[in-house]
Amino acid sequence: MKKYWRCFVCNDIHYGVKPPEICPTCLAKHAYVEISSNEAKNISGVGKVEFDKERFHEAIDKFTEKNEFQVNPDKGKVKMLLDGIFSNEQNYGLKYCPCRLITKDFAEDIKQVCPCNFLIHETYKDKEDGECWCGLFVRRKKNE
Amino acid sequence: MNKRIMFWARECPHCKAMMPFVDKLEKEIGIKLEKLEIWHNEENADLMRSYRSVIAPKCGGQLRTPTFFNTESNDVICGEVEYETLKEWALK
Repeated sequence: MKKYWRCFVCNDIHYGVKPPEICPTCLAKHAYVEISSNEAKNISGVGKVEFDKERFHEAIDKFTEKNEFQVNPDKGKVKMLLDGIFSNEQNYGLKYCPCRLITKDFAEDIKQVCPCNFLIHETYKDKEDGECWCGLFVRRKKNE
Repeated sequence: MNKRIMFWARECPHCKAMMPFVDKLEKEIGIKLEKLEIWHNEENADLMRSYRSVIAPKCGGQLRTPTFFNTESNDVICGEVEYETLKEWALK
């Protein structure tokens, strides 16, 4: 079961089954202590980070840099998808994939938050021209 | 309600790509599809969710768009397909 953890040196928050052995921010060893979800929410809320479409686009570009996939080079498609992702976040609270409907079962729906784990999906896995279901992420061509 | 439903989403590129095929199909064989947008219409979303047990197993376990669904035969197609595949589904 995942829990919240706080670095007692720099107040980084980690959500996971285990805390990091070394804090990725301040490099302190064995620095994480378990905290409540409410504490985690209050600490996270201090450093408010706004994310508009442009920032999200930058984030996913960065995310794909060292991966075998990239953001779809089709700018029109990407714009449409980002419009949907942000509309879903505004209306339903998270960046849900615009090409899959949420079920209202949170454990299922969290799997549809963009970027989802599309590497295991049949539209991507073992496919030379694989892409995530909506097409926001596509496998890089071998010569690129 | 029409037994042939197309569940689609406004910001889904696959749905956009399939729309000309749907228009062509309706003109060619004179069959109308009930086109239901599911991200901006809660009633349509609930209807799609009500068919989850039939649709999801045929669409990677999820409620994907576009989904072409025949409520009588339970025939399902999801995603972008060739025109002939869509036509075959519609004529069933």
